Amino acid sequence: MLPFAAAALTPLVYRVLGERTAYYASAVALACFAMVASQYGTHGAVSFEWIPALEVSLRFYVDGLALLIGFLASGVGVLILAYSGAYMHDEPGKAKYYTALLAFMGSMLGVAFAADLVSLFVFWELTSLSSFILIGHYTDRRSSQYAARKSMIITVSGGLFMLIGFLLLANTVSQQHAFDLAWMLEHPAEVHEGLVDAGMLLPVLGLVAVGAAAKSAQVPLHIWLPNAMEAPTPVSAFLHSATMVKAGVYLIGRFRPLLLPEVTEGTHGLPDWMTLFTILGLATMTIAAILAVAATDIKELLAYSTASHLGLIVAGFGFASELGAETGAFHILNHAMFKAPLFLVAGIIAHEAGTRKIKHLGGLRHDLPITAAITVVAGFGMAGIPPFNGFYSKEFLFHAAYEAAHVHGGLTWLYPIVAVFGSIFTFLYSVKFVMLFFGEKPKGLGHVHRPPAMMLVPTAILGTVAALIGLGGVADTFGFAPTMINHFVGEVIGNVLPPGAHAEEIHFSYHLPKHLSPAAVMSATTIAIGAAAYPFYDRLHDGVNRLLAINPLRANWWYDNTVYGLNDVSIAMVPRVQTGLLRTYATWTLAAVSTLALGGYVAAGVSLPSFGGLAISYPMLLVLLVAVVGAVAVSIAPSHVAGVLTLSILGFMVAIFYILAKAPDLALTQLVVETLVLVIFLLVLDRLPTFYGEMSRSRALRDGVLSLAVGATVFVTVLLTTAASPNSIATFFTEYENTVKIAGGHNIVNVILVDYRGFDTMGEISVVAMAALSVLTLIAMRERGEIQ
Amino acid sequence: MTTVITRTITRTVVPLIFVTAVALMLQGHNLPGGGFIAGVLTTTAFALIYIVYGMDFLEDELFHNVVRGPVEHLQYGIVENYRAMFAVGLLIAAGSGVVSMVFGKNFLYQTYTILEGIPLYPHFEVASALAFDIGVYLVVVGALLTILSVVGAE
Repeated sequence: MLPFAAAALTPLVYRVLGERTAYYASAVALACFAMVASQYGTHGAVSFEWIPALEVSLRFYVDGLALLIGFLASGVGVLILAYSGAYMHDEPGKAKYYTALLAFMGSMLGVAFAADLVSLFVFWELTSLSSFILIGHYTDRRSSQYAARKSMIITVSGGLFMLIGFLLLANTVSQQHAFDLAWMLEHPAEVHEGLVDAGMLLPVLGLVAVGAAAKSAQVPLHIWLPNAMEAPTPVSAFLHSATMVKAGVYLIGRFRPLLLPEVTEGTHGLPDWMTLFTILGLATMTIAAILAVAATDIKELLAYSTASHLGLIVAGFGFASELGAETGAFHILNHAMFKAPLFLVAGIIAHEAGTRKIKHLGGLRHDLPITAAITVVAGFGMAGIPPFNGFYSKEFLFHAAYEAAHVHGGLTWLYPIVAVFGSIFTFLYSVKFVMLFFGEKPKGLGHVHRPPAMMLVPTAILGTVAALIGLGGVADTFGFAPTMINHFVGEVIGNVLPPGAHAEEIHFSYHLPKHLSPAAVMSATTIAIGAAAYPFYDRLHDGVNRLLAINPLRANWWYDNTVYGLNDVSIAMVPRVQTGLLRTYATWTLAAVSTLALGGYVAAGVSLPSFGGLAISYPMLLVLLVAVVGAVAVSIAPSHVAGVLTLSILGFMVAIFYILAKAPDLALTQLVVETLVLVIFLLVLDRLPTFYGEMSRSRALRDGVLSLAVGATVFVTVLLTTAASPNSIATFFTEYENTVKIAGGHNIVNVILVDYRGFDTMGEISVVAMAALSVLTLIAMRERGEIQ
Repeated sequence: MTTVITRTITRTVVPLIFVTAVALMLQGHNLPGGGFIAGVLTTTAFALIYIVYGMDFLEDELFHNVVRGPVEHLQYGIVENYRAMFAVGLLIAAGSGVVSMVFGKNFLYQTYTILEGIPLYPHFEVASALAFDIGVYLVVVGALLTILSVVGAE
């Protein structure tokens, strides 16, 4: 909760501290980091009541996976906020910036620790909202607006899919645990069984996957991520390396135990989970890597590479084996550790060199030696070159892909092939990024300043961590295992394993390949082909760009056409629906209501109740006949006066019908109201033309059809509602005990009105008062507004 | 519209309607009636006066003053009174609900007592719902009269 409170205070703090708000924000993040760290090693849930009626409470659940994301969000947050202090030095809107960034961090921590599906969803959408503000930071730039809107549309709508998935999931578990994620995680096997029994496994899986894919920028929903680079660079580093996009993979990891089938000996079928996520992940990994090669801007390159690496994580989680879990969990950590510094490096380059175009950059190592060193560590990690950190997790992916292909055979052999193919492109663009610092300096590039320490130090810290993880692997090769990393990642892996796997038996460790395994061969192939292909980088770059010139191949083209197309449709719709004529509105409203109601009945497949014969007395028959005559007379009345008078015949007949049906209260009301309405009608008539105008035949036909439809809707509705007999309520009020003894009244209708349903009556009289006020404003004051 | 017959009848009928309306409201708890019906009935009585005697009559002859409220475009200041009326009604209705909260019950909780031994009415029942019903009555009368006179003034 701390970040939210701090975010609310930020504008005030900014007044006082000005530029130094960065340190304040950073301190808040550090406090969060400390709080997360204090939870290290603990396990379990804490809760506060929130919506008791739905058994929803604000609960937090702590385990390895949550801690990992929490560490990333708060730890990287500290560094990013400090870096922002220097980067945002002369940028506008700093108060808003820090507020949104802190709020974002808070919601991200919320996502990580939420122990409840509802709060998870709320925090999830909060991240979308705050990132909307951050991406659209430069509010007057058109491209910023476009980018912010795009990311909002995609991630929020993805979240809605996820919400439906959650609701379906909540329906399959027992009532008292409906939204209880913590309980589900403790009983994954039960939940899975419930899902399978209800036939809901695939829908839930699909819907949750859409949510996760939208957030984690998986193909074809990756398009928002490159545009989001409009945001200030620290935001890109934070949102798109360590946090926001990690929410998607976090979700996949979270639901992995629930949606994967239990591990039993001798199961050989491909689980739906695996098919879906491996294909999604590997496709994203490859396509985004190719797109990254086509990028011309360093931040664009990093954005596509982020999507690509998220694809790798998703694919890792997709493989049902333990190796898959290891890939996903370890790469979440590694990716954050190399991508965040790379983004910060990109920020430094943009800030100091004044351009982000790949073409215009090169030979930066002379001016930025420390930055160059960091870039080498992080960039080679991204490329998957041993002994840097990204190598190990990629190795796990190769291993997992190979194992899966080995076990399942057939088409699954495509897994390792695609993995290698995608990794080649990863290697290419990573090396390209590193090469920005080497080679000759292009002529256009002037003197590049040294970055301020506040920008360099956070970058260096992140780079160092990346290097340490890499060194850990080397050390392990020689027998010195980095126990802390191993233990932590091991715990995360334990949290994402399907039920039945013996989580406590897993001892995670990583090291350089000691002998010639298939995975090692795959890594070597990647690096060899990558190195061989690098001289042709420019040709590849142009080739991919030429391919992208074909519109239907670009996901963006589809997005733009859909969004702008919908825009055009709605603009075209307005003059049809909203003509400013009351009758058009009435037509649309009534038609829509009847269509929806009748459609609902058809969809629900309700059957009309059987008709039990006419039990009707002669007086009633007479009254109804007169009413029908009145109704017919209304429709053929030549003038308004005649119309109103015949209409009130109808009304009075209804009143008499009430009397005959032994409803004196209703009859009384109907009588007096009818009288009053008649008077008001006659008053209004004074203002209207005496006779009706001519009416076109088609309009008469349309109105006739509409009135028939409305009549049918009402008829069916009345039949259906009266067929159901709410015995409990009806008998409750006829009990002497309830009405006379407790409420002290003999008139049931009135007792209900003023006593049992007093609140309803209260609302109704407020509506009456409101209506009077609006008549007053509309008629008596109508000239006022125009004068002013 | 104003023949001698209608004027005479109106003079006789309007008080009768008022009495009937009050009776309907008071007996609402045990017999057909209630605040809403009584309110609408009262309004019809006013409507009758309006139609037969005109609005000026009501304002000048009955209230002997010409109220001018903040809404300058209103022809008849008496609408201000109606507006106050439904505001007060709403206040009473809501207030009656709040009173039950003072006694530690839910909002709008109703109760009743039976008073014994009052002259003329040896067995008299006082229901707290009556206060609520009076609120309803005032809102209905005030609101409908507002509508009626604003529309009628046009």
